[in-house]
Amino acid sequence: MKPPPFAYVTAESIEHAVAELARSDGEGKLVAGGQSLMPMLNFRLLEPSVLIDIGKIPDLTGISETGDGLSIGALTRHVDLETSHLIAQRFPVLTEAVKHVAHIAIRNRGTFGGSLCHADPAAELPMMAVLLDARICVSGQGGNRQIPADKFFLGALTTDLEEEEIVTRIDLPYLPESTGWGFEEISRRSGDFALAAAAATVSLVDGKISEVRLAVTGVDDLPLRIRAAEDALRGSELDDAVFSSASQIVRDAVNPNSDVHASADYRRHLIGVLVGRVLRSARSRARGGA
Amino acid sequence: MADKCRVRITVNGVAYDQEVEPRLLLADFLREDLDLTGTHVGCEHGVCGACTVLLNGDSVRSCLCLTVQADGAEITTVEGLGTVDNLNSLQQKFREHHALQCGFCTPGMLMTATDLLSKNENMSDEELREGLSGNLCRCTGYEHIVNAVRAAMNE
Amino acid sequence: MSKSSDGGIDLTRPKIIGAPVQRLEDPRLLTGHGKFTDDVKLRGTLHVALRRSDHAHARIGTIDTAEAEEMPGVVGVFTAELLDALTRPVFATSKMKDYHATPVRALAGGKVRFAGEPVVAVVAQSRYLAEDALAGIEIDYTPLEPVVDPEEAAADNAVKLHDHLPGNVLVARRFGVGDVEQAMGDAPIKVGGRFRFHRKTPTALEARSYLADYDQGTRALTLYASTQVPGIVRDALVEVLDMPGSKLRVIAGDVGGGFGGKASLNPEEILVCALSRHLGRPVKWTADRVEDLISTSQSFDEIVDAELAVDQDGTFLALKADILGDVGAFSIYPWTAALEPMQVAGFLPGPYRVPNFSANVRAVATNKAPMGPYRGVGRPISAFVLERLVDMAAKKLAMDPKEIRLRNFVKEEEFPHRTGSGIVWDRSGFTECLERAADAINYPALRKRQAEARADGRWLGIGIASYAELTGIGSRLSAAPGMPINTGTESATISVDSSGAVTAHFGIASHGQGLETTLAQIVAEEMGVRLEDVEIVQGDTSAVAHSTGTYASRSAVIAGGAGTLTARTLRGKIIEAASHLLDVDMADIDFADSLISARGTNKTMSLRELARAVYSQMGSLPGDIRAKVDLQASEFYDPHFGTTTSATHLAAVEIDPETYEVSIEKFVVVEDCGRVINPMIVDGQVHGGVAQGIGAALFEEVVHDVTGQNISATLVDYVIPSAAEVPSMEVHHLDVEAPSTLGGYRGMGEGGTIGAPAAIANALNDALSHLGVEIMELPMTPERLFQVISAAQDGEAESS
Repeated sequence: MKPPPFAYVTAESIEHAVAELARSDGEGKLVAGGQSLMPMLNFRLLEPSVLIDIGKIPDLTGISETGDGLSIGALTRHVDLETSHLIAQRFPVLTEAVKHVAHIAIRNRGTFGGSLCHADPAAELPMMAVLLDARICVSGQGGNRQIPADKFFLGALTTDLEEEEIVTRIDLPYLPESTGWGFEEISRRSGDFALAAAAATVSLVDGKISEVRLAVTGVDDLPLRIRAAEDALRGSELDDAVFSSASQIVRDAVNPNSDVHASADYRRHLIGVLVGRVLRSARSRARGGA
Repeated sequence: MADKCRVRITVNGVAYDQEVEPRLLLADFLREDLDLTGTHVGCEHGVCGACTVLLNGDSVRSCLCLTVQADGAEITTVEGLGTVDNLNSLQQKFREHHALQCGFCTPGMLMTATDLLSKNENMSDEELREGLSGNLCRCTGYEHIVNAVRAAMNE
Repeated sequence: MSKSSDGGIDLTRPKIIGAPVQRLEDPRLLTGHGKFTDDVKLRGTLHVALRRSDHAHARIGTIDTAEAEEMPGVVGVFTAELLDALTRPVFATSKMKDYHATPVRALAGGKVRFAGEPVVAVVAQSRYLAEDALAGIEIDYTPLEPVVDPEEAAADNAVKLHDHLPGNVLVARRFGVGDVEQAMGDAPIKVGGRFRFHRKTPTALEARSYLADYDQGTRALTLYASTQVPGIVRDALVEVLDMPGSKLRVIAGDVGGGFGGKASLNPEEILVCALSRHLGRPVKWTADRVEDLISTSQSFDEIVDAELAVDQDGTFLALKADILGDVGAFSIYPWTAALEPMQVAGFLPGPYRVPNFSANVRAVATNKAPMGPYRGVGRPISAFVLERLVDMAAKKLAMDPKEIRLRNFVKEEEFPHRTGSGIVWDRSGFTECLERAADAINYPALRKRQAEARADGRWLGIGIASYAELTGIGSRLSAAPGMPINTGTESATISVDSSGAVTAHFGIASHGQGLETTLAQIVAEEMGVRLEDVEIVQGDTSAVAHSTGTYASRSAVIAGGAGTLTARTLRGKIIEAASHLLDVDMADIDFADSLISARGTNKTMSLRELARAVYSQMGSLPGDIRAKVDLQASEFYDPHFGTTTSATHLAAVEIDPETYEVSIEKFVVVEDCGRVINPMIVDGQVHGGVAQGIGAALFEEVVHDVTGQNISATLVDYVIPSAAEVPSMEVHHLDVEAPSTLGGYRGMGEGGTIGAPAAIANALNDALSHLGVEIMELPMTPERLFQVISAAQDGEAESS
């Protein structure tokens, strides 16, 4: 189980990487941490003509405050998200989610941008991007653009990126004050991909709900925000009955796959349970609980 | 065949300057080119953890890393810990607690534990098990491994 | 001087046997200096990549290798056409009636019989280049109907895997005792149903690896192999390659776990040997993980229809079972297709008195990887079936599961006890294991806590499993009936060389069990030398004239016995030589900690001085004495029947009532494995066995789709538990010497895997008792729990 032959280029800059990608005529692949790409190469599921290593491009790492949010370099490693005080302070739900990404050795190499571009339909970080209304900044031959997360993911392992485009940064707008959160995942083993996972944020103003967000993964071809459930929750008293109906809305909205680990029915069942749990956690945290 | 690339890598304190094929996995570079066969290959898809080494001090899967990506890096393998006559304290705890049977997962387990211990002074048993959960062992049932790492942590 | 009952051992010295000594293997393994097969580097080695069948069942038409042959670094591309000319097929023969053998060949010819069967071998300068060339091979297959379902495979009109056989049923046997039908008919209470244990694969962390090195000058071939059975492989290769054993050596260096998956002869072992001899170069093949998961022997695949009849007071009256084993495409060498299904039947009566018993056993071929031994061989299935039946009966009688077991165990005064399947249990602590396990977990308090948890809506369950197994099986039984090999004996050769160093040669092959340490403990203590002065040679067919290897919980008992006898003989020679050299009576010679001394004098002698005197200083001993006291001994040990190991496993589990995730809260094992040689190693064996049992109960399953494709061929999809899923365990030993083996040892390498699935199944069942469901299938994955619970809740909803 060895990778097929390919050429290798170390990109010096974003422009260099974009040019190399364009030159490869769709046969090239970017590699950063390689934690999703390398298994596919070892299985020979991909046979790129050239690997363009963007791992050494300066300025693509780091987490900084922009005034209205955090801007996170695409090469920021999972472990740096996990241990960032800024993220723990501003997006504790992301800190929690990253802990569920595989294992320490994978988190030491894998990057935020890489995880989003790979777009595994059971991965945690794409769901977090969707939940947190991330704006995904990309550079390409046509210049730069920003893609809202809910337009970025198109299907399993499929994104809105053009062939020669590169994700450079992920901007996360701050959540309102008094936002509570919840994150829950069920997997076969610690660190495995989710059979189902859900995350929510609930924001209160003067004790009333100003904003609710609910995202799920593992239960469809792509991570989803369940707007219908959010609509049902918004303006409600956030009681358990409303949560139950939100769970039902989610169960009806998703379209899970069956595989050796779980049937679609079980995944659908699970996501309803997890939605209830994340909403209860978010409510409790929004009200000042732990 | 693709052109070879030059890599300068320091492994266990020794500097190497070699030409390698771009596709050469770091695990195979260590085992085949440098004859450091202590790093074991167990799955080549990033699940079992047997091939774990330290790259600039962080544990990584050497089956999910190209040698060319490690250009300029400092690698530590199990051969870079203690020696047969002078085990380091973690290795010594593994021996005292019988934390290895066939020894195949052991190098990866030691490298992961080294990383965990360097970053966490105090782990609950749950955190410890969670931290080790990316390294599969088929022999020990993990009990003695957890005991050994805990003992090393408490030392 | 005090002596123990079995002679020889000086009790006044600190004991080595029984001490938790640190392992002699560890320093090399902890520092990356172990030598696993794939670590062996020989100059000029060529590497093999295999094109494996992507059909479960198909005729092989033309194979076009022209493009592959031209690819960079390729030395040759080989098919069955050449390999069949270079080798002779080998058959796992048996004297059993109604048994049909199938050939073991290096590469498939004519037909492929499972997806993953090797068809074409590419030999190239590196593994990378060999794999590149696989894409240049064109194979023209004519697909045949895949035979996937074992019941359909067993039908008279089924598509046949092997055209020369009457059908797919490779083994059919029926046996028992008493009149089961009569007893069943008269019984007041009967429980039963269909039990299903799904296919597993042993999944040693080191995948299989073989390196053959043919020396053209001496016409000798050395095979470095990750095998548990170098002796069996060597003897088979003698036939396959038509070479004398003196020219064939199999070396199993450090082996990264086996668990049965490396205990059979494999096609790739034949392949690398034949190709190395053909090419005159070293040839290596190392399985990648996918190859390992699809082609290494698989196990634990049975459908068991079983029924237990009991009296009103819980006394067992009769047990009957119909066992269908799905043995895959071939009858594995040397164990045969009978191995697992027959063991399921043989051990079904368990540690209980069962006056009437009958079993009907069939082994049926399907288009899957062949079934081979896996830790516990059949007994995890028998324990699962029987222990579930026992709990079902207890439930019907409203009797505590512990109580019904105590009522039916073979009692102290009833040993030796012959079971309905013909197995004879020697004295073993059936009752004591259960009582002590219940004490260790504080059973009454746990039941109380369970009642409270249930009142809070929590699904807490407690499961007991008691079992007994035969270990250290001698030549009168042998590990499988009618096989052409002898698994019941071991010999050892121990020598003191001219430098005074002690080397002990054994035929076993350690692959993680720490036998270098435990056998050194036995030899050191029995001989009178320090542990560090003993070198153990094992895992090498050149060590002793006849060997098989390490499997079936035999090595500590049988090799330990051979080591004990040999050490005692050599000790006698050393004392005799010393008495001449020191000029005192033999009775006045002390020999301990590698030092020889004449009691009551200040005369001492090291082993080195003694060796020098015996070997090099002519005249130091009279000629007739010198001939008698050569510093070498060889003895043979046969335990004849073997011994009984038993245990009780007790599990407390909790099921999340919403997500159906299972957590194991407590796991206690109390085991009677006889005299403990090294408690640390023994505990480690139990922990590892239980972890595999947990995998078997909750996680692991080889899944085939309807076309016979293995769809669990990565470690993402074949789920072996990690440190986060395996709980901390509590293990206790009775540490009572076995009555029937030399040294009092009982085998214990497999037991953990036998008890754990049954204990967890019973605990899950107990946790769900309010739903009225029965756990009849393993592994109980979250998906299966979801199905079982949903069905029960739907049923409840309908009836309410």
